[in-house]
Amino acid sequence: MNTATLTRTPSARGPRLLTRTLASEWSKLWSVRSTWWCLASAAVLMVLSTLTLGGAHSTDIANHNVPEKTFEASEAVVSATTFVQFALIAMAMLVITSEYGSGLIRATFQATPVRGRVLAAKAMVLAPVMFVAGVVTGGIATAVEYLLLSLDAFGGSIRVTPAGTVADLCTTGVYFALVSLLTVGLGAAMRSAAGTLTAAFMLVMGLPLTLAMSGSQVALDISMRMPMFAGLAFMGSTDNLTGGRIPYSSAEGLAWLVAWAVLGLVAGHIVLRRRDA
Amino acid sequence: MISLNGLTKRYGDKIVVSDLSLSIKTGAVTGFLGPNGAGKSTTMRMIVGLDRPSAGSVTIGGLPYARITEPLRTIGALLDARAVHPGRSGHAHLVALARSNGIPLRRVAEVLETVGLGAAARKRAGALSLGMSQRLGIAAALLGDPGILMFDEPVNGLDTDGVRWVRGLMRSLADEGRTVFVSSHLMSEMQLTADHLVVIGKGRLIMDAPLTEVIARSSLTAVVARTPHAGELASRLTAAGIGVERLGENELVATGAAIERVGDIAHEAGVRLHELRTREASLEQAYQELTEGSVEYGART
Repeated sequence: MNTATLTRTPSARGPRLLTRTLASEWSKLWSVRSTWWCLASAAVLMVLSTLTLGGAHSTDIANHNVPEKTFEASEAVVSATTFVQFALIAMAMLVITSEYGSGLIRATFQATPVRGRVLAAKAMVLAPVMFVAGVVTGGIATAVEYLLLSLDAFGGSIRVTPAGTVADLCTTGVYFALVSLLTVGLGAAMRSAAGTLTAAFMLVMGLPLTLAMSGSQVALDISMRMPMFAGLAFMGSTDNLTGGRIPYSSAEGLAWLVAWAVLGLVAGHIVLRRRDA
Repeated sequence: MISLNGLTKRYGDKIVVSDLSLSIKTGAVTGFLGPNGAGKSTTMRMIVGLDRPSAGSVTIGGLPYARITEPLRTIGALLDARAVHPGRSGHAHLVALARSNGIPLRRVAEVLETVGLGAAARKRAGALSLGMSQRLGIAAALLGDPGILMFDEPVNGLDTDGVRWVRGLMRSLADEGRTVFVSSHLMSEMQLTADHLVVIGKGRLIMDAPLTEVIARSSLTAVVARTPHAGELASRLTAAGIGVERLGENELVATGAAIERVGDIAHEAGVRLHELRTREASLEQAYQELTEGSVEYGART
C-alpha cells in the first residue's frame, strides 16, 4: 500500500457515521434546483390558497352564513395544507426517486453501504426542513392574508392572536414533516417517481376522500384515520373538506400521522435491505 | 485484496454468475474479460454490495463490503458513468460523496484536477458528454485515495487521448502498489495494460492467469520454421506429438511446443533451418479461443 492509504483518519463509529451521512444528504438536498422549485411552489400555493380560503371565510361571515363573528387568520393555513402538501410531497419524493432514476443510488450505497442509515439520514434531513417550510410559508401566508383581509371591504372579521398563530403554524410544520417521512419511505419502497407520487396521493388524499364519500360507516371511520384527516384533526381544523367533524382529538390525530410515517419508513427500509440496488 | 468465494447470482432460474472463486492480486492491473452478458458487471456489483449474492461471498481485505466503515477510502469503483444526478454539478456530487466518508473537501478539487475536469466541474452533470461523465466517475472512484480501484468499461465514450490517459492512469495506480480490477471488451487495450487476466463466460470462470501465460497457452501461439526439408521436419514433429501445419513448400507452423523443442528436433533430424521464430497470438485471438461456446448473445456465423 502507498503511504496515502496508510495515513487515514481513525475510523469513525456509530453517531459519527450518521453525522457524516446527514452532512452528505444535506448537501445533496440543496445542490439541486428541484428543491428550490418545490419550496417556491409551496410558498406560492400557500399564499394563494390561504388568501382564497380566508377570503371565502370572511365572505361567509359577512353574509351571516356561519355563526362566528371573527376568524383566526392562520386557520386558513391549516386548510390550505390540503393543497400545499403536494409541492412538498414532490420534494420529499425526489430526494429518493431521483437517485433511482439517475442511478446515483448506486454511488450513494457504495459510499454508505448500510442502507438503513441512508434512509434515516434522508428522513432526518427532510423532517426539519419540512417543519421550517410549513412555519415559514404559513407565516408569510398568514401575514399577507391578514394585511389584505383586514381591509374594510372584507368586513374586518379576520383576527390574529399570537397563541393561535403559533399553534397553527407549528402543527402545520409537523404535519408536513410527517407526510414527507411517509413519502420518502414510499419512495424507497417504490423507487419510481410516478409510482411514489401515485401511492402518496392515494394514501394522503385519494383514498380518504373516496372512502369518505362511499357512504359506509366503516369506510368513513377508516378514511378519518388516513393521513389527510388525521392531519386536519391534529392541526385542530374546524373547516375540512367533508364538512363534518373528525371524531377524535388532536393528540390522536398526531398518533395516526406518526403511525403512517413509521409505516412508510418501515416499508421503505424492508425493500431497501432486500432488493438489489 | 478482493476475494470471491463460490460467488453465485441467480435471477429466477437464470444463473448469471456461477460459483466464482478467485482472489484479485494486489499491486497489479487485473483485466476482467468475458462476452456481453457473461456476468462481469453483476460480479462487480456484488463486490461493492449493491447486489446480494444468491450463494457464496465476497470480502475486501477480509471484510464484507457493508462492514467497511469508510468504503470509499478502501475501494473506489466506477460502475456506471451516469450514476450522477443530472441536475447536480460534478463538484457538488463529489462534495456529497466526500462528506459521507469523512474525506477532506480539498480532495474534491484534487481529483477533479487529476481527471482534467476542473473547468466543467461547476456545470450540471447532465450537460456533460459521456467522456466527461466517465472522467467524473473516475474522479469519484479516486476520491478516497483507495488502495483498490475497480472500473467497469472505463474507456467507454472516451476519445483517443482519453483512452491513452486511462491506460496511463491504471498503470500508475498499480505502480503505486494499488490493486486495479478493470473490465473491458477492448482486447487490444487489455493487452497493453493488464498484468493478469480473469476470463469468465456464462458466469463461469474460464481462466485466471497472467497475461503472458494466457497468450502462451493459445493454440495460435506457435513456432514458425522455414526449411528446405519441410516434409522431413513435419513428419518428425508429428511423430513427437506436435501439431503441424504446412504453410508452403518450405514453411511450416508447429503448435503446442516451445521453440527450443522444435529446434532440438530439427537438429536431431539433421534438418537445415533458414528461420525459426515464435509467432505470438494476440490477446484477441487467445480470448476468442477461450470464450468460444460461451458467447451469451452472439450472432450465428
